[in-house]
Amino acid sequence: MRITLLGKNVRNVQFSTIASLHGINMFTKCHNLTMLNTLVDNGKILWKEYCKSVTLIGIATGGLECDLELLLASIHDVMIFCIGKKELETLKNVDQTKRDLRQCYPLIDYLLESLDPNAISSPLPTLVLDLVQSFLCPQAQQLQQALDNYAESVTGRWACLSIHGHLVATSSDFDELNPREARLMLLLAASQDGAPLRETPVYLPHMSPNVAFRAVTCKLLSDVYILVVCGATPPLSQIDEIVLLCWEGYAQVIKEAKLIHPRNFPMSITFEPCVLAILVINIPKRRCVFSRHLHPTQKGRGMSGSHRLDILRTFYITTARDLAPELRIDDQERDYLAGLTETYWCSEYHKCHAQRMRNLLCCVLYTSTVHNHTMRSITNQILQDLSSNKEIYW
Amino acid sequence: MSNFKGVNYDSPCDTDDDWTDSSDDSKYSDSASSVPEWDSDVEENGELVFIRIKRRKEKCNENKAPLLENCETFKLRNNFKRTSTRRSTKGKIFKVLKGQSSKNKAQSKKKDLENIRATSTATLNTNELTENPKESVIIQVSRNMIFSSEKNCQIEKLFGISLETHSDGKSLIVADFLTEAMPIYGSKVKKGYYLTKVNGIEVNSYNINNILQRVYEEPNNPKLQFQMPEESSLISLERLLKSKNLLENKSTQLLKDFSCSVLYISCNDIENTRNDDKGVIYCYPRPFSQNFLYNTRGAYLTLNHLAPKSLGTSEPTCSTVLHNDNLIHVNYTSHCNDLLLITFPNKYIDAFSSKKVNADIVKLLEFLYGSLKTCFTKPNNVDRLDSLFCRIFVTLLFNNEQASASDVHFEDILAAYSVTLPLEVRVQVDDAITELEAADYREWTDDFENFQRLYTVIGSCLYYSGHLLSSHLQDEDLKEINAFLKLNGVLALSTDNELEKLVMWKEVFIHEHRKQSKNDGQDYRIPDGRWFLLVVGKGHFILATLMEAGGCTEDAVGVTPPSPFYVEECESCLELFYEVSLDKYLASWLSSNTHPQIETTPERLTKYGKKMKEMNSFRADTLRPTLRTSKSSADLKKRHSSSEQIYMGSSLSDNSNYGSHHNLYSQWYHGTQKYRHSSLDVSHSEDSNSLKSNSEISDDRVQGRRADREQRNRRDSSGSDSDWDRQEKHVLTLLQNILIHLCSERW
Repeated sequence: MRITLLGKNVRNVQFSTIASLHGINMFTKCHNLTMLNTLVDNGKILWKEYCKSVTLIGIATGGLECDLELLLASIHDVMIFCIGKKELETLKNVDQTKRDLRQCYPLIDYLLESLDPNAISSPLPTLVLDLVQSFLCPQAQQLQQALDNYAESVTGRWACLSIHGHLVATSSDFDELNPREARLMLLLAASQDGAPLRETPVYLPHMSPNVAFRAVTCKLLSDVYILVVCGATPPLSQIDEIVLLCWEGYAQVIKEAKLIHPRNFPMSITFEPCVLAILVINIPKRRCVFSRHLHPTQKGRGMSGSHRLDILRTFYITTARDLAPELRIDDQERDYLAGLTETYWCSEYHKCHAQRMRNLLCCVLYTSTVHNHTMRSITNQILQDLSSNKEIYW
Repeated sequence: MSNFKGVNYDSPCDTDDDWTDSSDDSKYSDSASSVPEWDSDVEENGELVFIRIKRRKEKCNENKAPLLENCETFKLRNNFKRTSTRRSTKGKIFKVLKGQSSKNKAQSKKKDLENIRATSTATLNTNELTENPKESVIIQVSRNMIFSSEKNCQIEKLFGISLETHSDGKSLIVADFLTEAMPIYGSKVKKGYYLTKVNGIEVNSYNINNILQRVYEEPNNPKLQFQMPEESSLISLERLLKSKNLLENKSTQLLKDFSCSVLYISCNDIENTRNDDKGVIYCYPRPFSQNFLYNTRGAYLTLNHLAPKSLGTSEPTCSTVLHNDNLIHVNYTSHCNDLLLITFPNKYIDAFSSKKVNADIVKLLEFLYGSLKTCFTKPNNVDRLDSLFCRIFVTLLFNNEQASASDVHFEDILAAYSVTLPLEVRVQVDDAITELEAADYREWTDDFENFQRLYTVIGSCLYYSGHLLSSHLQDEDLKEINAFLKLNGVLALSTDNELEKLVMWKEVFIHEHRKQSKNDGQDYRIPDGRWFLLVVGKGHFILATLMEAGGCTEDAVGVTPPSPFYVEECESCLELFYEVSLDKYLASWLSSNTHPQIETTPERLTKYGKKMKEMNSFRADTLRPTLRTSKSSADLKKRHSSSEQIYMGSSLSDNSNYGSHHNLYSQWYHGTQKYRHSSLDVSHSEDSNSLKSNSEISDDRVQGRRADREQRNRRDSSGSDSDWDRQEKHVLTLLQNILIHLCSERW
C-alpha cells in the first residue's frame, strides 16, 4: 500500500512523479536491492518502510535533510497516533484505512509547516523534532498542582498545559510518556482550531499502540490549552464543569505565565547584549527552551528572527547534539568522543557556542564581535544562572 | 655573458668528475643506449607504460650472476654520451653538492660496485623469477563419492566443484564448491585456482569432456592437480599497470564481490534503437547479467530524470543502496544526456569520500579522453577502460596491505600528500625541475636554428614515495595529474617498491583546453595543439611532466610515441637528485618528521611547554612518523634510531646525514662556509658536519680549497652566493648598529 503524504509546498507534485518515486523503490526491491536514500545538492530523498505496510518517501532540501529520517519517523508516529498500529499493519480494508488516515493530515500539515523557518505565520515553530518545546515560567510549580488536581478529578492520568504550543506545565507523572508522545499531544492541542472542548481517541505509539485512549483538549484562554489523557468515563459535558471548577482560580496565574512568551525565560534571568538567541535543553526530560527575544528594547539587529532560529537549529542538529549522545534516537553505533562538553562555530556574521553542564545543554548564538574566550565564559555563566535560579522549574 | 664564462670554466672540471666516477654512474645509465629499452613496449597509439622494479629479495642471488653480463652493462653505458654532456650544464647549480657526493661515492665505491652487480642481475632475472614453477596442489577424489548436482553437470557430480573458463578461453578455474565437497578440498584449494591436470593429463576447456569420459572408465580414484593463481594474496599493481587488455579474471571476481561497478548509459533515443542494451554503452565488470548496477539501472535513470524535472531539486549526486547486506554508494555524473554511474562499497569508501573519489575519477577520464562521451564511445576502447577501472578500484580498495581492514583514509581522498622541505632544499629541487622545464639546449647543437623543438614543457611535479615535493603546474592540471598518478596506482607503486625504471607516456586533454572549446570569445587562447603527459620514475621518485605540442613547436601529427630525448631529460633530472643524495636526505627527513605542520598541543607553544617538549623528545627514542613513508625509509629510520652512533663513524658517510635534518644543505654550502671563514672571519658554529669521520674532513679541505678557488673566481660576477651572503651580513650589521644607536638614544 502506498499512502501519499506531502507537505503543502510540494502539493503540486504530480501523481506520476509520486508513482515513479515509489516505482523506483519497488523495482529495486525486485532485484534484491534496497534503495535507502539519494542525495541531491543540499538535499535528500529518503525511502522508509514501516511495519512492512507503509512506505514513506520524504524529500527535503536546505538544512533539514539531516533530520529527514527523524521527520519520517515522526510522521509515522502521527499515523499510529490517529488510527493505531494494528490497523496500519494489517490493512484489512485499504480504502477504509485511507479514509481514516485523513484525520491525521492536519497534524502532519501542521508539523511540516512548523519546520519551515520562514513561515513566520506559523504559531508553533518546531525547532527540533526529538525535543519538546517549552518555556520556563516561575508559575510552573503552581500550575502543576492544579494539573494534578484536574487529572485526578477527571480520573485521567497525564495532563499538561500548553501556551502558544509550548509545554508550560505538566502533571507530576507526565514524564512517563515518551517525549515523542508528548510532542504529539502538543500537536493535537495546536491543531485544535479553537474548539473549546474536544475529545479524540488516540493511540500512544510507544505506550499503547493498539489500545486507544481518550484525549480531552480544552481551551482556557486564547492560545492556552489544557490536555488530559483519560479513560471513557466522565462524559464531555461533565468534564466541562470540572474544568470550570478546577481552573477558575488560576486565570490570573496563567495570564502571568503567558507574559513570559516570547522571551520564554523568567525576567530574573538576564542575558548579555551580545547574545542573539539561546537554546537550552534539559537532556533527561527531552525538553528545550528557545528564545530570540532576550532583550526587551532590542530592535532588529540585521539578522531576522527566523534566520537566528535556523542557524541555531542547524548548529544543534549537526554539531551540538553530539555533546549529548543519549539524545540520539537512531541506533547508529558511531564512536563519539566521550566526555565532550563544549563545541563552537565561528563565521563571518555570527558565532555559536554550546556547552553541556550535567543535564543541561546550552547553545548560544552570539554576534561575531564576541571573542571566543568571552563566549565561553558567558555560556558558562548562563548555565550556572539556569541551574541555580529558583524561579526555574522544568 | 658572465654565465658563459662560468660554463667554460666549469666544464672541464665536471667532465673530469664524470670520468673518475663513471663506474658509479653506470647503475643509472646502464639501461640507456641508442635504442631505449622501452622502445618495444610502445603501443600502436603511441602510449607507453614501462615499469621495472628493483626486487630486494633477489639481491642475495648476486653471486650467481655471470660476470659477462656486468661487462655488457658497462659497454652500454660507454656508448651513451648524452648524460655526461647534460651534466656539464647542470653541474653549475649543484657544483658544491656534487663534489661532495662524488667524494662520498669514491669512499663507498666498493659497496656500489656490488650494488651494480646486484641490480643488473636482478633486471635480467626478473622474467625467470616470475615464471617460477608455481605451487600446485594435488587432491584425490574417491570414485565412490557422487555429488548431487542440481545442474546435472558431470564435473560437479564427479569432483564436487564447478568450473568456469578463464578469459583466455582455455584454462579452467574453480568457481565454486558443492557443500558436500567442501571437506575434501578444505583449505587447500580455493576459488579462483586453476585446474591443470586430471590423472596427470593436462586439462583445458577443449578436452575436459574427453578426460571426464576417461575418468569414468578408469577404476582408480581420479587425481586432480590444482595450481595457485600467481600472487594470490594481492593483485600486483605493476602487472595491472602494464596489462593493456588482459582482464584478470580473479581481480574482476574480487571487484564483483566488493560490488564495485561502472555503468555508462546514453539516453539519446537514436542510440537506444540502435543498441540492444537499451542505451548501455559501457558496463564493468561484465557479464551484464551479473552486474547489479546494470540490472537496476532503470531506477537510477528514472531518479536522474525525475529529480530536476519534477521535484525541483538538483540532479542526484549519490544514492545509497543495500545489496546483499552491503551498503553501496551509487554516484551519478550526468554529461549531456548521458549518465555515468560508479559504485563503491561503504565498507571501504563512505558517502563523503565516494563523492570526492567520483569527482576524481570523472576528472581523470576527462583528462585522458577529453570528455566522458569520447571516453566511452571511442572505438576499441573497452579493454583499456576495463583495465583502467580495474586499476582504479584495486588502488582504492587495496591501496596498502592494511587497508583491507580499514576504510580509505580521509586525507587520502582530499588532496595530495605534500612535504614541506627546508627552503634551501626546496630551492634546489625547484631549480633542477625548472632547468628541465626551461629546456635550454643551446649547447647541444650548433645549428639550433634548423631544429624546431618537439614539445614545450608546460610544467611538472615531483613526488617522493607518494608525497608531493614540488609542483610547477597549474592548479587544475596538478589535480588531474595527481588523480592520474594516484588512481592508476603509480604513487602506491613508488611507495611500496623501489623502481628501477618507470616510463609512462600518454596523450592527455588538459583542463584549459577542454574548457576553452566551450567559450571561444577570450582574448588569450592556448594554442591548438596536443598535450602529453610523461611520467618518469626512479627509486621512490616520480616526476610527471606535462608537455605541449603546438604553438612554437613542431606539430604532432598522428601517432606520437614518446621521444627518447625527453625521456632521458627527465631521467637525468631524477639522476641529479640521486647525485646530490636527495633520496637519502628525504628518507631521513620523512622518517624523522621533526617539522610537523600542525602543533596539536597549543600549550607547547609557551616557553615552559617548549622546554617540556624538548625534554620529552630526548626521552622518547622512537618518534612515531606521522607521514607515510616508504618501507625502505622506515627501515632506515629504525636503523638510525638504534645505531646512529655506529653509522656516524662508519664508511657509509651518506648515512651520517641523519645527524640533523639541516645537514644536507649545510653540506651543500660547506664550501661557502669555508670561504666565509677565510675572508670575512665571521665566527660560525660548527654544526653536525664536524661529527664526520676524519677521512671525510680531510676531503672536505681539498674540496674547500677548490671551492675557494672557484668562489674567488666568481666574486667578480655579480649575484653569486658569496656576494649575497656578504650583503646579508652587511645589512645585519647595519641593523645591529641602528639598534644599538636607537638604544643609546633612548637611554
